[in-house]
Amino acid sequence: MKKILLMGHPNVGKSAFFNRLAGANVIESNYPGTTVDYTKGYIRLEDEDIEIIDVPGAFSLEPKDKAEEVAVSMLNENKDALVVCVLDASKIERGLYLALEIIEREYRVVLALNMWDVAEDKNIQIDVTKLEQILGVPVVPTIAISGEGIKELVERIKEARAIEVKEIIERVKLTSTPGVEVRGKE
Amino acid sequence: MKLNVDERWDLIDRIAKRTLTFGKYKHTLKDALGDLTIKPLTGIPIAIAVLYGFWSIFCSFAGTLCTDGFFVKLFDGHFLPYMQRIFSNLPGWLYYILIGNPQADNCFEAFGMLTSGLFVAIGVVLPAVFIFYLMFTLLEDVGYIPRLAVLIDTVLHKIGLHGYAVVPTILALGCNVPAVTATRILETRKQRFMMMTLLAIFIPCGAQLGIMQEVIPTSMGWVLLYLLLGYFIFGFIIHKLLPGKSPEILIDVPPYQMPTFRNVRRKLWLRTSCFLKKAVPFVLVGCAIVNILYLAGVINWLSNLLSPLFVGWFGVPKETVGPLIAAFLRKDLAVAQLSVIEMTKYQMITAVVLISIYFPCIATFAMMLKEGWRELLGSLVVLATVVFVYGGLLHLIWRLLGVA
Amino acid sequence: MKKKISEMTYQEQGVVTDIEGDLREKLAGMGIRRGKKVKMITKQPVRGPVVVSVDGADTSLGLGIAAKITVEINETTI
Repeated sequence: MKKILLMGHPNVGKSAFFNRLAGANVIESNYPGTTVDYTKGYIRLEDEDIEIIDVPGAFSLEPKDKAEEVAVSMLNENKDALVVCVLDASKIERGLYLALEIIEREYRVVLALNMWDVAEDKNIQIDVTKLEQILGVPVVPTIAISGEGIKELVERIKEARAIEVKEIIERVKLTSTPGVEVRGKE
Repeated sequence: MKLNVDERWDLIDRIAKRTLTFGKYKHTLKDALGDLTIKPLTGIPIAIAVLYGFWSIFCSFAGTLCTDGFFVKLFDGHFLPYMQRIFSNLPGWLYYILIGNPQADNCFEAFGMLTSGLFVAIGVVLPAVFIFYLMFTLLEDVGYIPRLAVLIDTVLHKIGLHGYAVVPTILALGCNVPAVTATRILETRKQRFMMMTLLAIFIPCGAQLGIMQEVIPTSMGWVLLYLLLGYFIFGFIIHKLLPGKSPEILIDVPPYQMPTFRNVRRKLWLRTSCFLKKAVPFVLVGCAIVNILYLAGVINWLSNLLSPLFVGWFGVPKETVGPLIAAFLRKDLAVAQLSVIEMTKYQMITAVVLISIYFPCIATFAMMLKEGWRELLGSLVVLATVVFVYGGLLHLIWRLLGVA
Repeated sequence: MKKKISEMTYQEQGVVTDIEGDLREKLAGMGIRRGKKVKMITKQPVRGPVVVSVDGADTSLGLGIAAKITVEINETTI
């Protein structure tokens, strides 16, 4: 493993997340040829220091501004990087959109369902085990500002592997639906 | 395999159906607050109150408490006499560069590298920049900025920018350098160019605000108003003249959040230290260069050369040429230097406006160059035009009012 | 009844039926897409932007963008 990229929408607590993972020795750098800044640091995994980059926030991999462009180029430049994708658990659907885009590009992905407390406050229940079965990537509920779940997430980084989207589509078909109405569907 | 937009959403819907259940959602205080601050009827008054609060905290903390209450006493009462005493044996020219005027009894007049230079950097500018970034970071982390962006979009879209241009604009009030960086959130080249040009010309930085508050506290409001008007007038003109797209606002409005101490501390430290690293050396070197140019007679020569323009067109004394040269290095330094030149209140306002709109400081200049030399060149053309027209206009206004 | 998001009134709700052209991809990442329920939160005066809520997330759209999204209006809840 060469690098870990921390990706996610803006305002999902990504920098708080990064602070937890990278600890001290954080460097703010400038992406070459642009005025976009990003932060990077190091995380100790199995006696190895691995570079971790806080990629500028992006809603999708179809860039609509310069910061998103940088996010996409960072992803393209680090083909063998592992991606920790931080989602807002209370807005999980649109978070999954970005996560799927990254998975489709055959990156190894770990999903962090951040702001788990906010989702609980909003009475949103997420079946994490089932989500993990369907997606085939580690899924960990986290609350970055208090540090909850971060340790488990770090431990599960090694389980990440690249997934074919086809597999996900197949697995969805095999999973049963709970008899509950889902918001937003006709 | 890659999916298209609809296939991907289809898949997400199917995943959601199997893994998500939504209970009853009850509205919280945070939601109510979120609504209140974005609806125009309540949101606009709240925005004005927030900005006014920002402003008065800035003034009272930086100006009254830190600078007047502490640093002026420290520097004028103890530091300056001390420096004048221990360096009194230096050869004349070196003394002039480092300590400045030996008769000076305050740090605005001395104008030496180690006296006024340090005083301006640490005593005046540092508190201003610190409190500015503290408040901005808090507003940012709470989640207020996107709401402000939505409220102000109506106006900014009319001049070809969009609501998020409020971020580089406010940041520029702290320091233009990170503000140039922040123009990245605008989508097209045209928008980024406009934003960069406008902020380099019309937005005074925290350093300048801090020093203006010290030097021209009573007329500062007028200076800011004149600059703000210029921002919109010239923004509108550039928007009409320049080809290119001005896309509309399309942003996420996140819910309010409690800022965390760690995050605020980290951002505040990054921003303030970045400022210190970039500004302090420039202030000190700037002081030295200006003093050397004075000693070498260059400034005198330039003053005479440019005096028709300055005296005739802008209506300010020809001595202001010196500060304008300093302004290229540091704007705060330049305003400090103006304060000791003999002139009327109105000439002072013109001179301060000129310093604001004239050349961005060298650090900003370097940052803009990074964005592309074509953009920079374009900005400079706009800048020259604005300085000439807008500076001359102010002189005309004074003449019409019968005060110049 | 069908109308554009730009024509929706305060607190009105509807389901997105059509999004014009390349806007679809731009909006997809923000969760606005066909079949989604949208609720009008505010409209800024003097042809300013609108704010709509989709899946509990608020998004602000310029009026021109809002005019490219068609919704089928259902019951209004106050």
